[in-house]
Amino acid sequence: MNRRAFIEMISGLAGTTFLAAQMPWFTVFTNPSGAGMSASDRVRVGFIGVGSRGQTLMLNVQEFQARMNIDIVAVCDTWPEHKERAVAMINGQAEGFLDYREMLDKVQMDAVIIATPLHEHAQMTIDAMQMGIHVFVEKAMARTLDDTKAMYDAHIDSGKIMLVGHQRLFSPVYIKALEMINNGELGKITKLRGWWTRNTPWIFYDVPGGRGSALDRQRNWRLYWDYSAGQITELGSHHFQLANWVLDSEPLSVMGSGSLNYHTDGREVYDNYSLVFTYPNGVHFTYDLLDSNRHNGVGFQVLGNEGTMQLEANRHFAETPPRPPAIRTLIHNIEKSIFETIPIGGATWIPAEAVKYGGNYISPDYQLNETLLFLEGFIEFVRKGEAPPKLTEEGYNASTWSLLADEASREGTILTLPEKYKIKPCQA
Amino acid sequence: MIKDLIIKEKVIRQELMLLGVLFVFSNLTNVYAILVHQGSWSELISQFHVVGLLTLFLYAVSLLLRGLFYSGRAVWRLTTKGTQS
Repeated sequence: MNRRAFIEMISGLAGTTFLAAQMPWFTVFTNPSGAGMSASDRVRVGFIGVGSRGQTLMLNVQEFQARMNIDIVAVCDTWPEHKERAVAMINGQAEGFLDYREMLDKVQMDAVIIATPLHEHAQMTIDAMQMGIHVFVEKAMARTLDDTKAMYDAHIDSGKIMLVGHQRLFSPVYIKALEMINNGELGKITKLRGWWTRNTPWIFYDVPGGRGSALDRQRNWRLYWDYSAGQITELGSHHFQLANWVLDSEPLSVMGSGSLNYHTDGREVYDNYSLVFTYPNGVHFTYDLLDSNRHNGVGFQVLGNEGTMQLEANRHFAETPPRPPAIRTLIHNIEKSIFETIPIGGATWIPAEAVKYGGNYISPDYQLNETLLFLEGFIEFVRKGEAPPKLTEEGYNASTWSLLADEASREGTILTLPEKYKIKPCQA
Repeated sequence: MIKDLIIKEKVIRQELMLLGVLFVFSNLTNVYAILVHQGSWSELISQFHVVGLLTLFLYAVSLLLRGLFYSGRAVWRLTTKGTQS
């Protein structure tokens, strides 16, 4: 799918209750702000945190910077090398800062993109919105439920946009998938399954002092409880958002378990988790995270009585595979009658065999970058001064349930979302 | 010295005839399969590649069988000639 096909697809869905209810933000591509290329129409953007992810986000913005009349006006990172690298990426045309407060005080900007360690998101986001700046913050929102709620409250109080970087919200594959699910092509959804498995120590930087040192805690922050819930907030959060989106609901509860059973090098955060989220109508979402085996890669499945969707693989499998062409059936039967051996003894119990069927693409010929689409959407919303509330709620809900999953795994209990963290469901 | 290989017109005609017969046979097989397995008639077009492959497969089988027959006959003739002398 190219950009033209994407716009055509959105146009085709415009006006449907499905699009309006489940993904109203996509209309921004068919109904843009209409801003021109003059200096007064220019959107001024700053970046806080330009390490690995921040750099990627910056490269994405640079892709459409000229077309969308954007000025990158300032960059900030506490790590001087990152700051210098980011300044060089924009040919020195923006000022670099080591302290984000100084950046926000000194430089006028309309929006800021935050990609710092998780525990730093809350204060930065709140400060920016209170200064009248719209925010795009990387997922998950914060390290604690209190911080997450404080960010949401600041967004409501300030009236400023706050979007959370779950980029699958802007994936054309998921529009198509949700449309198919909405049309009943999977029948009744009875289960969700997800996994994110890798074989990696997940060490971004080798630092003197090794694991557990102050410098390691700062640079490899994903490995320590104070700063991150590891795979849950940094990876699983994407799939928790997807589950909520597909089921159009938040979970009722989460239970989980986790441990450090392989990367026992002094880190704190677990290297494997098994989680179960319970949704209304008895639907469960089972989820596995593992850092010591990559055989299964990344997957997210929606299972119904009439079909299965493997969303990360862009595949749809009907429960009853389409019948093969007649001549192939005939040839297959002839082959079988000639070559099949007749067992004279064997198992008395035949296990339920998996269906051997390759399925179909959900969205064929998919070429678009959802991170880029999300950032483009963010800039358009900044121009309009508002974004659909559901977009922020998706980020909030995925973030709160990530933190609950972390807590449930560490305590070995079943948790529900405390009343004080619930947000009023908004009509988009 | 390499000699020119001469294939007589009659042989070419015979081989093309055989290929044609096998092609018709493969199409009839497709029709039979559609009837037996309740396929769609559009498979006469959509499965044309399978029919083509089946034709080539049957032609290859015919080449193999004829090769075996003529080699066997040549060996038998050589053997019987040796015994007679």
